[in-house]
Amino acid sequence: MVLDLLASGLVFSSIIVLGSIGLSLVYSIANFANFAHGDTMTIGAYTSLVTFGAVGGLGGSVLGLPFGFFVALLAGIAVAALVAVVTEKLVYDGMDLDSIGLLIVSIGLAFIYRAVIQLGFSAQSTRYGIQALRPIEALLPYGVRVTQHDVAIVVSAAVLVTGLHVLLQYSDLGRKMRAMADNPDLARVSGIRTDRIKLWTWVIGAGLAGAGGAFLGLYSQLTPRMGFNLLLLIFAAVILGGIGSVYGAMLGGFLIGVINQMTPLLSQIGIPIGIEYADAIAFVIMVVVLLFRPNGIAGEAT
Amino acid sequence: MSLTTDPKGYWTDLTVAEKGVSVGVVLFAAALLFSLLTGGLAPTYFLYLVGLAGMYALLSLGLNSQWGFSGLINFSVAAFFGIGAYGTALASASGSPIAGGLPPVVGLLAALALATMLALFIGIPTLRLRADYLAIASIGLAEVVRIIVRNQDDWTNGSAGVRGIPSFFEGWPVLETLPETLPTLVFGSGPGATVLNAPFWQALLNVGLVLAFVGLCYLVLRRAHRSPWGRVLRTIRSDEDLARALGKNTYGFKMQSFVLGSLIMALAGVFYAHLNLYVSPGDLDPITTFYVWVAVILGGSGSNRGALFGGVVIVAIREGTRALPVDAAPMRLLFIGLIIVFLMRFRPQGVLPPQKELIWPGTVDETPQQPDSGVRETKAGEQ
Repeated sequence: MVLDLLASGLVFSSIIVLGSIGLSLVYSIANFANFAHGDTMTIGAYTSLVTFGAVGGLGGSVLGLPFGFFVALLAGIAVAALVAVVTEKLVYDGMDLDSIGLLIVSIGLAFIYRAVIQLGFSAQSTRYGIQALRPIEALLPYGVRVTQHDVAIVVSAAVLVTGLHVLLQYSDLGRKMRAMADNPDLARVSGIRTDRIKLWTWVIGAGLAGAGGAFLGLYSQLTPRMGFNLLLLIFAAVILGGIGSVYGAMLGGFLIGVINQMTPLLSQIGIPIGIEYADAIAFVIMVVVLLFRPNGIAGEAT
Repeated sequence: MSLTTDPKGYWTDLTVAEKGVSVGVVLFAAALLFSLLTGGLAPTYFLYLVGLAGMYALLSLGLNSQWGFSGLINFSVAAFFGIGAYGTALASASGSPIAGGLPPVVGLLAALALATMLALFIGIPTLRLRADYLAIASIGLAEVVRIIVRNQDDWTNGSAGVRGIPSFFEGWPVLETLPETLPTLVFGSGPGATVLNAPFWQALLNVGLVLAFVGLCYLVLRRAHRSPWGRVLRTIRSDEDLARALGKNTYGFKMQSFVLGSLIMALAGVFYAHLNLYVSPGDLDPITTFYVWVAVILGGSGSNRGALFGGVVIVAIREGTRALPVDAAPMRLLFIGLIIVFLMRFRPQGVLPPQKELIWPGTVDETPQQPDSGVRETKAGEQ
């Protein structure tokens, strides 16, 4: 039971982590809480749906996922990033607003994204045309029920997160991003082209969100509200980890995902709180963290 | 300058935006009157729309006294609206799982008490937080409230909602039976005739109720915001550190403002419950929060007139999209989103920003006359 919940917590965490990193990156560079981030995930999911419908299986498969799905995943990442860049150029760029104004603008953008998706695909839930798998036989004796798809989600998320880590720590772009997150003015006078770095931040953040959305569609199903419904959990994760910190977002995302899936344990040890309160628990954790440790576990800086 | 004594001077005193809005309001009213007279708009439905507009005006007045005056980013409007609706519904409805059957006035008091408790529950932890954290935390706590209402079947009937809510005037002398006793009026003849019967009079009573609520809140807020108390709130909004340095307990002031605004939002919920006669957890959906935010920033943060204006626009969007040939729900979202983005891009202060209305008329100085001599033409350093 505990092992099973831990495993499903790990899978759910992978999706939350992909969402949280982008939210945290954008917060640290553009300096506002982006309420459109959840709907960026939805964009990734629906792009993958369309792409997968177009390219189909493409021969072989890995971990129960046809190659076509990975093509669709890349398309989801690319389109989410593209939408973010276009939005930055078209809307945010040239706006003279404080962080609260930008926050309100991002709510408007979230509605626009969601409305367009709902106009194109209706509010009904849908799925990728991938057959659902049975749990992996070898793990059943331990009481762990995960499918190959779940493993694929965790592995892909791990690859993306590792890639981001390498990028941040060892590349020129990563160093500039960290410098800018630390102190934008100092970064600018040091000769870093902050506009360009900001654009790259949007690309990376939204790209990861797109990947998270595509996996969220695989994990459950696709609805126009899917990303918005996840947004508050992502906020909880980011705040738990320390808003603006990428590594904090990873840690926070992991913890929130696992805690969320572990909720059934509460009623087992005699606390009468059912699974329906899983999200509520995360939000309460978020408020408690804000009260007592507003910088999160990892602190503010990247 | 008043409208009755000097209409011309009153008109020239208005800003361009105010003139535009005035013309728009007159045209909109004329269009409504035209469709009422030609039968395009049923009178009972029209009154229902007026009631809804009044309800949104109440909600925006409430949010305005939190965000517009004290700068509190409250994203839990839907929770207060819902708690107001559920408070009165659980007290007065025949289908209530707890008390039920009490007079609606008791329901009103129960709703206000519940809203005060919720305001303290949300406000005590969150009002110390930085502005954007407050936004996230308050929407999170509002979701907690919604999840509880949806899942605690033994208190709230869960997702089935509460049925059997009486009209607000049930149990009142005269007003209770007034709609039935008033005569049925028929204008015109044949199938196109306009019939004014009991539902119409009932709707008229409801409109009277919401207008009374709006009027009361408007007067209270106008008085409060022009008072020294309101000036402290405005100082907190523009510079909280300054207010603290002047010895003000900013947390206490913010809490008072938060509770006051929340009570007004709950009042809107009470009206809604007795208008709709049914409440469900869907009424606590966060979209209501954002509708009200659009109403307030569209009208102009801090402006009570603007809040009234925004309320009418929201109802026009909500109900007007029903007439479109496409799916209404995404179109509503799209309109709301576009309004937010375009407003913040081109007119972040809103259509009717507060100007003189915040200050007692007598305290406004006339602009000092420019002296004729002894004034340098340019400041130092200017070319």
